[in-house]
Amino acid sequence: MIAFDHVSKIYPNGTVALKNVSLEIQQGEFVAIIGLSGAGKSTLIKLINKMTDVTKGTLIVNGANVSLLKGYELRKFRRGIGIVFQSFNLINRTSVINNVLAARVAEMSTLATLFGLYTKEDRILALESLHKVGILEKAYMRADQLSGGQQQRVALARTLAQSPKIILADEPVASLDPITANQIMKDFKKVNVEENITVIANMHHVDMALKYADRVIGINAGEIIYDGPSANVTEELLKKIYGRDITDEDIMFKDQ
Amino acid sequence: MNKKPPRPAKAKSTRSVPRRKLGPFLRMVWDHKIVQKVETRTLTLADGTASTRPFSFQLVNFTALFLVFAVFWDMIVGAYFRKTSLWLFFRRVPNFFNILEKMVTTLDFAYLGNIIDPLIDTVQMAILGTAIGALFSLPVAFLASQNIVKNKAVSGFFKVFLSLVRTFPTLVYAAVLAFVFGYGTLVGVIATSIFTFGIMTKMLYEVIETLDLGGFVAIEATGANKVKAFVAAILPQIMGSFLSFSLYNFEINIRASAILGYVGAGGIGILLDENMSWREYGRIGVIMLTLFVVVILIENVSRYLRRRLS
Repeated sequence: MIAFDHVSKIYPNGTVALKNVSLEIQQGEFVAIIGLSGAGKSTLIKLINKMTDVTKGTLIVNGANVSLLKGYELRKFRRGIGIVFQSFNLINRTSVINNVLAARVAEMSTLATLFGLYTKEDRILALESLHKVGILEKAYMRADQLSGGQQQRVALARTLAQSPKIILADEPVASLDPITANQIMKDFKKVNVEENITVIANMHHVDMALKYADRVIGINAGEIIYDGPSANVTEELLKKIYGRDITDEDIMFKDQ
Repeated sequence: MNKKPPRPAKAKSTRSVPRRKLGPFLRMVWDHKIVQKVETRTLTLADGTASTRPFSFQLVNFTALFLVFAVFWDMIVGAYFRKTSLWLFFRRVPNFFNILEKMVTTLDFAYLGNIIDPLIDTVQMAILGTAIGALFSLPVAFLASQNIVKNKAVSGFFKVFLSLVRTFPTLVYAAVLAFVFGYGTLVGVIATSIFTFGIMTKMLYEVIETLDLGGFVAIEATGANKVKAFVAAILPQIMGSFLSFSLYNFEINIRASAILGYVGAGGIGILLDENMSWREYGRIGVIMLTLFVVVILIENVSRYLRRRLS
């Protein structure tokens, strides 16, 4: 469970990214965070695994007070949280399977990492993860030879190989074409349902958020405008979240 | 309208290429190549918009100025005050050909048998020195990369340390180390590895600092520490450069280790030194010829391998 209790985030340059945010996310939820660029979506996600620290309030993730975690404790905590980036962040010049296996190095010795001594269990786990996202046959290809959608799948498989409780996704499909984006979101949904992994995704496109997420959190200028089932999101509400009418740019499939 | 009168037929027949005026050429040099004139910094577009280029020296200006300065220094200061000048080079060049002639005419191929062992020593020094230096360069390159080690004091410290290491050439290290470890091949190996370490580390951290860190960040986010994230995400990206740099350093080292014998580090340098003092030009010729063949061989194999890597 993730619990924000009156959390504020003010960056050193004075930018107020989040104002007094309180919310709870249960294990196994699929949450989409929507809002304009700069509204605080990324900050909300980054707080959860302490890529950036809380300024005021408390944030409890799986029973741990995140702002108190440091060093080894923090690294151990992060093993339970996977992240998928907008730009995939794969390791170029190496194979897909090595990219996925890299998620296991946190639990290995440095020497074993140096010589690439992954256990058979780790290898099978990595292959299983690739199989779940449907690109098992690409396992021994070089990661940088894949298409964008395939690369994002590798990133998702890498996250799965971490056996996480929570997956954070920062604009996971914003740099993909609509068809591929839909497939990737389906993969996220599948993982969410079948493995009971909490998925929290920043979404740039409103229609994709409403289509795949059970719950939508709308943020405007660091404040939560809406927090509820995606089925209850109305045109009126979106206007409030975005502070303007929804334009074509906010929607991936324009004919829907 | 304002047509020039036709040229006289005489001028046409003597010059097929029209004469260029010196004035415009000098103006061009003055405008662009030596010093940028202030007026040329602002250009006006067709619609009257002006674009001003900030004042800057161009690389070519510096090169030109430097060349002029160097020649001036050599001719005036060098020749008249220090008695060393390029002129000396031209006066002594014939001596070189005299010695070369002696070498070639008295080539002592029977001496080849004495060369083989020291030659193997020399190559071994280069191989071992390169391998040891390259091995140590990886962890230190990690510590000196500012984008990996966020602490500027730490990466800065290692960068300063490395530039100190690079101050001395292999020969100086060998000369000093000979006092510590005694004469022999060991000194050559240590000296070569120190030099290789200094160069390789710099080359590597420069590559690391231009890398895309996405993968590294992602692995760090899985809860791995920096060292493991470096090994898992950075090493695969720099492995090609690492091998290529190692081969390149091996090429440098094979040449450097040939003269290490002069300061007591073993290898073929000892023989070279010995025969130089006895003026055994025939033997020197054979040694140089052998070295030439070995270096060319290694260089070409290495270049082939490096091309295969990239």
